[in-house]
Amino acid sequence: MTEATVAISEASSSVLEKSELPVNGKSDLLISMRDLWKTYDMGAEKVHALHGVSFEVKRGDYLAITGPSGSGKSTLMNLIGCLDTPSQGEYWLNGKNVAEMNDDDLARIRNQEVGFVFQTFNLLARATALHNVELPLIYGGIPGAKRHEMAKQALAAVDLADRMTHRPNELSGGQRQRVAIARALVNHPSILLADEPTGALDTATSYDIMNLFEKLHEAGNTIIVVTHEHDIAARAHRIISIRDGLIEKDERIR
Amino acid sequence: MSPRSDATPKGSGADSGRRIVLPARIRSLPFLRFAALWEAFFVALASLRQNKLRTALTLVGIIVGVTAVIAVVTIIKGLDQTVASTFSSQGSTVFTISKRPQVITSREDFIKFNKRKDVIREDAEAIFRSCTACWRTGIAANSFEIAKRGDQKFEGVRLRAITPSAMFEIDGVSIDLGRFWTESESAAGREICVVGPDIVTNLFPDVPMERALGQDIWTGGHRYTIVGVLQPLGKIFGASRDNVIYIPYGNFEKNFGAHNSIVVFVQTQTAPQLEQAEDQARAIMRNRRGKTFRDEDDGFALETQDVFLNLYSSATANIYVVTIGVSAISLVVGGIVVMNIMLVSVTERTKEIGIRKAVGARRKDILTQFLIEAVTVTAIGGVLGVLSGFGVAWLIALLIGFPLLFSVWSAVLGVSMSSIVGVISGLWPAWRAAKLDPIEALRSE
Repeated sequence: MTEATVAISEASSSVLEKSELPVNGKSDLLISMRDLWKTYDMGAEKVHALHGVSFEVKRGDYLAITGPSGSGKSTLMNLIGCLDTPSQGEYWLNGKNVAEMNDDDLARIRNQEVGFVFQTFNLLARATALHNVELPLIYGGIPGAKRHEMAKQALAAVDLADRMTHRPNELSGGQRQRVAIARALVNHPSILLADEPTGALDTATSYDIMNLFEKLHEAGNTIIVVTHEHDIAARAHRIISIRDGLIEKDERIR
Repeated sequence: MSPRSDATPKGSGADSGRRIVLPARIRSLPFLRFAALWEAFFVALASLRQNKLRTALTLVGIIVGVTAVIAVVTIIKGLDQTVASTFSSQGSTVFTISKRPQVITSREDFIKFNKRKDVIREDAEAIFRSCTACWRTGIAANSFEIAKRGDQKFEGVRLRAITPSAMFEIDGVSIDLGRFWTESESAAGREICVVGPDIVTNLFPDVPMERALGQDIWTGGHRYTIVGVLQPLGKIFGASRDNVIYIPYGNFEKNFGAHNSIVVFVQTQTAPQLEQAEDQARAIMRNRRGKTFRDEDDGFALETQDVFLNLYSSATANIYVVTIGVSAISLVVGGIVVMNIMLVSVTERTKEIGIRKAVGARRKDILTQFLIEAVTVTAIGGVLGVLSGFGVAWLIALLIGFPLLFSVWSAVLGVSMSSIVGVISGLWPAWRAAKLDPIEALRSE
């Protein structure tokens, strides 16, 4: 191979192609968003919830995404969590281009790569804590005995080993959120994606949950917290501020 | 060596040093996604338990439908059985030779058959002499008469003249009181008779049946002494089969004349011989009528009892289809109830669907979950419907009086039909659930 061809291939691939992107799980780069647009068709006019968002997240980072309501941060969170696909642009998650995937492939990615933590916990009301944590494993096709073991370990990791058979309505808000965190982590996802995780909790419990996040981060998890609260965002190592569908500020604070 | 190597015997033993990780494509094969199916089943049961009133309403819808179908099918099968056992009382070793077939479907045929030569006693004797495959033969002639005793009168009585007395066996009747007549009594042309129980109850009211033995009755202007009473055969389609008077054929010829065409009965010892006996008897009879092989018409009717059964099944087949079809409409109504309730269920559980989708449930996982829920409730309804259908059929059979046939086949039919209704009516609601947008679903309350 001549030097000229090498130069050409490097030049073209750095602009477009995945050959430069992390294809194996050991790469540092976990998320790469390039010129992401999300447009909603509201009858006559088109509303751009995101217009041209680009950023990268390294493995093991602790990122907060903040912004006022209507800024597009929820839309961004849905895209990061693979609940939705962008109208335009590329989204590489752990070496896979998610932007073009169909519903079932997205479900698979959510199952394997993303752990959700919601403001309102979103646990199955009629199921026990253990069953709630097992849910992602069920859809991942993990057989019963192993599933049980993994779910128990995840609950033990959030200090709820003694609450396994309780249903959500028998647990406090903080405990429910910890069940949700156990569910998010049970499949060892690439990212833990939290949407206003303390929004429904009192101050003391919020503090506990944020400490838990810190511990999980120290254990090597990649965490993305979407919040409009400054003190929650301030616990992260990097803050991306969104306003009017664009990144206003991207700062590393630790 | 990792400690996990022992725990993966699935690796076909070829390479046990490495842990075998199935690619996602293989892991998503249906039989390996048993966990999701199991989950769907338990979720279905829990949701059915949770909404008891709703479940009960759905069940009623399905149960009514299945009950109707199963009751109808069971009753029909019972009727079929009754008819089959009635007409096959002579067994599959008997055939008859007569002037006219037992079933005539047109006026032209009736005229044609009437022009045929009568079947007479000599025909029977010829068959008896020459047919080697035949075991026993007999002749019978029928006439409708009025039976009288003193002031008592009984109309529409079947006078049946037979000989020899083996004809009783071929007819499938047996004695209850008294005796059959002997061959010598028959040969002597004695005025004796064996009667069905209806004759006794009508001509000897308020008298114990034994008292009728030895008594005289009048029919066709002649007096006959009762020597035996037959066991009751019961009714078929409301018509009694017990209003019969048997007299010896020799006496019938003497008192009523030989102008009637008779019926020749032939019985073989075993069923496989029947065909050979039929061929021989047919040849003998054609010969006696001077028919060459060019003649298409035999000039007589050679029939087995299948004729009745065939007529019966062709006459009733359409009725059955219509009846079952009408009762199946109630199953359709049940299906609509199921669909309605499943739609409500999907709407109510939008949030749950959102949660499941967020953690990785695919469209077909959700689809399967709701389909299983629909099929679970309809299958349970099917089982209960089969039981109550049998119950209804049993009750009706008790009132009308015929034997019942509870078949596994109709139970399987009931449960599988209701399950199919479940799949069909659950499909649309389940599809709506499956294609819900996870974001919208999570946002709902």
